[in-house]
Amino acid sequence: MKKLIGLALAVLVASVAAATASAGSQVAASSQAVSCNGTLKIALVTPLTGGAGFLGEQQGSWAKYAVKTLAKPLGLKIQLVLGDTPVEQGAAVAQTLAQKYVGDPRVLGVIGPATSGSAVASTKTYQQAGIVQISPSATRTTLTKAAPTLEGTPSFFRVVPGDYIQGPTDAHYMIDKLKAKKVVIIDFQEPYSTGLADAAQSVLKAAGVSVTRLSAPNTTTDYSAYVTKVPSDADIVFFPTQKPGDAQTFAQQLIEQGKKAKVFGSDGSNDSTAFKVPGSYVSNFAPDITAIAADKSVIAGWKKDNPGKPVGSFGPPAYGAVQVMLNAIKKACVVDHGVIKQKRDVLRQMKKVRINNWILGGSFRFSTKSNDPLNAKFYIFQIQSNGSYKLVG
Amino acid sequence: MSDSTPHSSHIPAEGPAVGQDEWVARHGERRLLRGGRLGKLEERLRVVPWWVWLILFVAAFSLLPVVESSGYVRRVAFDTVLYMLLALGLNIVVGWGGLLDLGYVALYGVGAYTYAFLASDQFGVHLPTLLAVPITVIIGALVGLLLGLPSRRLTGDYLAIVTLFFLQLFQTLMTNGDSVFGHDLTGGPNGILNIDPFHIFGHDLAVQHGGVFAVSYFYLALAVFAVVYVALRFVNLSRTGRAWRSLREDPLAAEAMGMPVNWLKLMSFSFGAGVAALTGTLFSALNASVFPLTFYFILLIVVYTMVILGGSGSQSGVVLGALIIGPLLELLRDPGKARILFYAALVGGVVFGFRRSRTLGIVSGATIAFGFVMHAAASAHDAAWVAGDKASGFGGAMAHWVVVPAHLASWVQPTTYVGLIGLALLLTLVDRRVRIVLLVPTLYLAAFVWENVMLANPEPMRYIVLGVILVSLMILRPNGLLGERRVEIV
Amino acid sequence: MDTFIQLTIDALTLGSVYALIALGYTLVYGVLKLLNFAHGDVFMVGSFIGFGVLQLLGGTSNPIVPIWALLVLVTLAAMAGCAVLGVVIERFAYRPLRNAPRIAPLISALGVSFFLANSMQLLFGAQPRNYDTFSLANGALYLHGIDIGQVRVPLLRIITIVAAFVMMVMLWYLVNKTRTGKAMRATSFDLEAAAMMGIDIDKVIVFTFVLGSALAGAAGVMFGLRVPTNVSIGFVAGLKGFTAAVIGGIGSIPGAMAGGLILGFAEAYTQGYISTKWSDLVVFLILIAFMIFRPQGLLGRADIHKV
Repeated sequence: MKKLIGLALAVLVASVAAATASAGSQVAASSQAVSCNGTLKIALVTPLTGGAGFLGEQQGSWAKYAVKTLAKPLGLKIQLVLGDTPVEQGAAVAQTLAQKYVGDPRVLGVIGPATSGSAVASTKTYQQAGIVQISPSATRTTLTKAAPTLEGTPSFFRVVPGDYIQGPTDAHYMIDKLKAKKVVIIDFQEPYSTGLADAAQSVLKAAGVSVTRLSAPNTTTDYSAYVTKVPSDADIVFFPTQKPGDAQTFAQQLIEQGKKAKVFGSDGSNDSTAFKVPGSYVSNFAPDITAIAADKSVIAGWKKDNPGKPVGSFGPPAYGAVQVMLNAIKKACVVDHGVIKQKRDVLRQMKKVRINNWILGGSFRFSTKSNDPLNAKFYIFQIQSNGSYKLVG
Repeated sequence: MSDSTPHSSHIPAEGPAVGQDEWVARHGERRLLRGGRLGKLEERLRVVPWWVWLILFVAAFSLLPVVESSGYVRRVAFDTVLYMLLALGLNIVVGWGGLLDLGYVALYGVGAYTYAFLASDQFGVHLPTLLAVPITVIIGALVGLLLGLPSRRLTGDYLAIVTLFFLQLFQTLMTNGDSVFGHDLTGGPNGILNIDPFHIFGHDLAVQHGGVFAVSYFYLALAVFAVVYVALRFVNLSRTGRAWRSLREDPLAAEAMGMPVNWLKLMSFSFGAGVAALTGTLFSALNASVFPLTFYFILLIVVYTMVILGGSGSQSGVVLGALIIGPLLELLRDPGKARILFYAALVGGVVFGFRRSRTLGIVSGATIAFGFVMHAAASAHDAAWVAGDKASGFGGAMAHWVVVPAHLASWVQPTTYVGLIGLALLLTLVDRRVRIVLLVPTLYLAAFVWENVMLANPEPMRYIVLGVILVSLMILRPNGLLGERRVEIV
Repeated sequence: MDTFIQLTIDALTLGSVYALIALGYTLVYGVLKLLNFAHGDVFMVGSFIGFGVLQLLGGTSNPIVPIWALLVLVTLAAMAGCAVLGVVIERFAYRPLRNAPRIAPLISALGVSFFLANSMQLLFGAQPRNYDTFSLANGALYLHGIDIGQVRVPLLRIITIVAAFVMMVMLWYLVNKTRTGKAMRATSFDLEAAAMMGIDIDKVIVFTFVLGSALAGAAGVMFGLRVPTNVSIGFVAGLKGFTAAVIGGIGSIPGAMAGGLILGFAEAYTQGYISTKWSDLVVFLILIAFMIFRPQGLLGRADIHKV
């Protein structure tokens, strides 16, 4: 009898509480107006800790530098808030952070989410609240293109092209310029590499190239057995890793075992200080930014704030994303006469943003047909004998 | 000072009822209660039946969304309720069964993934909620049973290894399950997306309105929590619960008394797994997506810290543990709040450690004075040495006491951090007077390290705090806050 | 055939590292009956110490000492550093719990592991660190070596395998032919009886941790010499070291060595011949099979409980 009373009471209290739920006020923070004279916030959502922490570290340092140097000339006071989405914790963290930023009336936009998984998990929340996301690194095709299903939302943008460009670009280069007949593709069981690997594989197979597909657990550190599995007559090993050190080691071990195959890395392996085995190839969404004249002062300034750190390839797109975001906020401020009424107003300005002297080269605007950069293309580099990257395609 | 010897509680007026075993009925009296003021407080609180506490708690907690309309707070509250459920489940295995189950979060994952299999486009199966959830719980309990099977022959450490490997196995299976003989079973590292929300009484429980977290899920989770708590309380009071207790205290004696030890172990695994699976469905349905990496080592440590902090074996304890650790982890993300928490903990620790003795005054005064002296010396030497923190409010105020340089040379962080650890460990070795003297610079160094090293990097710092809590708990107070002090018969 | 030889070399290299880690586990378990979860992270710290010392000595591109001296110094530094770390962990996280129920030091070990990994991340960041051994003398360690059939076995692998082997032999000698070793064996057999025989248990335990952690440090350097290291490798390395120790029979030193090699072979051959994707799974299945059918491992003793 006591048990029944107890259970009944528990359920009763819970349902009474649930009934009052609908009575609770739900002030959507997205409808509070903020003045452009006050401090506005943008959030950086990226893995700052854990196995992919290097991604967040680079993006963080460049985003901070961008806020520091770009906000004032636009007449804005911007605070960068950091949100950590370690890959080990999956997408739930991304959603919790999304709630945090939705509820903060001053957060007008999100730089990120950096990983495709977090993006997919949280973009619907942001979409409903009208918060724009500009990702510098989530390249999953389905975030902006419906292939087969669209996983992104109209509020999700990115400043780097998606896998649907990089994968085929690399594959075509291998077919047309390198005349590869036998290719080994390795993926690392996480969204970035599997997306790229699949994209490249379908193009290669359609062209009649013999493809061997290997899959390594994300925690793999020793690739010796994989190197052994590379056939001695293979031409290329497509290695879309986000850790340039692994690409380096793999290429060295290929030499060690006397294999003739060359390593072909993706934008994640683009780091001339960490991956510099001569003869290898790397693709990237930008030409080497240290060679772009207009970027010299930016790079010098960044280096002063971050002594001893390599420029890296993940950071500059974050700089670019912040630049786009700040420009959009500025436009919204102008249109709204100094008081932004809805976060959605910033979102509406995205397609109007034009940037000359884009940090990744040339000028920048979004494509009219998708939320990707217009005329995005990938550049192929070959590593020379002195370790430098030479543009070859 | 106060009476600190343990004492037993009063004998009930009526004595045991007819048909009830006297030894069993007087079981409560033989518990050693805490001595001193805390013990008296506990005794008085114990008069109030547990279910009144539960109702009060649930009522108070359910007022939260009414008071606070921020979606973020609601979301954190929801996550905390999930943590409370997980802690309850782990309590069954570790606290009641005494089995070190390091694969527990894998069962959480089993629940989440099974619900995803049954209610998403993955296999095209969209079972109604009232079917999907019970099926998931049953499957989870079965998997827990399977996991418990090796436990029959293995002792504590071996069981820990096997369950840890089950965790890794689950991870590997879910990550690689996207190409099993060409079939995509688990979605692989990309996980499973677009999972159906709960569909109750004809309504889809909306996940969010205008992007703000909807309260209906929070209340649902709270209701589930209340029901599970009550159910488990009854299980604990039943024969099975008593059998678990005796199993935990002395497995050999339990077996000698004819208890089905193996069966009991399997039962505890199974129950724990069932609770975990139920929590998994809530997680899955709310997030509408599930990824393998969530159910891994970090989550395991978090849940364990909650259980240990609260006191394994005590239901209310583990709930309290979850209530503390869950929001703590979120609060520590923000440097401003983390700073406040740190100084509160520092002051609280010193006060609690010295408790109204003269030493308290000496230590606090000395530390504060030491701080100002150091600050003055640093700013006299080079103004840039104290120019770092431009935060307003509390942070700015503290910046007058702690030295926060504008630029830190790269060797400062590791050196001061390691130095702090070394000093703290040294403090445990020296005798009392030296300790008091050493405490002053240690406290100041701790503040320095916190401001300059830890706050710069809040993310690993949160986990470091957890690790420290876990280790110190085991050494200083293994029975946690509300756990029973176990009397070991030598 | 070439693939087989190549895979065997891979297996031996992998296995040597695993064996060294497993030895640390086994030594500690034998004496304390404690599974030191923090061991994997000590291994990780060892690889970082090695990296740090390497940079101090000029890095691989401009070493200020000859190559062999560089390698020896880096290894010794890592071993010393890890030995100190191991002793500190034992003294403050495990010793207070020596009389507590078995669950307590295990959980404490989990906490220490968490603490170590995240502290390293706090201090040094999440970026992987590459020893860049290839730059040493223009790849000499990679390009020169012994030829077996068509396969060239590079110097680096030979050094790794031989060094591990030498350390294991030295350990064996220490444990079986010296008085301290005898004390260790006695303690692991029966701690109370050994104490009653006048052996200083605390000293023996400290010595055990020194040995085990030093081996982990050496393993860390051997690891770092070949692949980039980062702060997250501790957990998986610890898990694999565990597996090796358990397969070989936890508590048995030759067992740990055998277990490490078996694990290395299992991994390499599975990756090479069956599938790279499922190599982890196969290893676990082997382990589970052992746990079910022969829980004491290959060379361990069956546990007899005194009632």
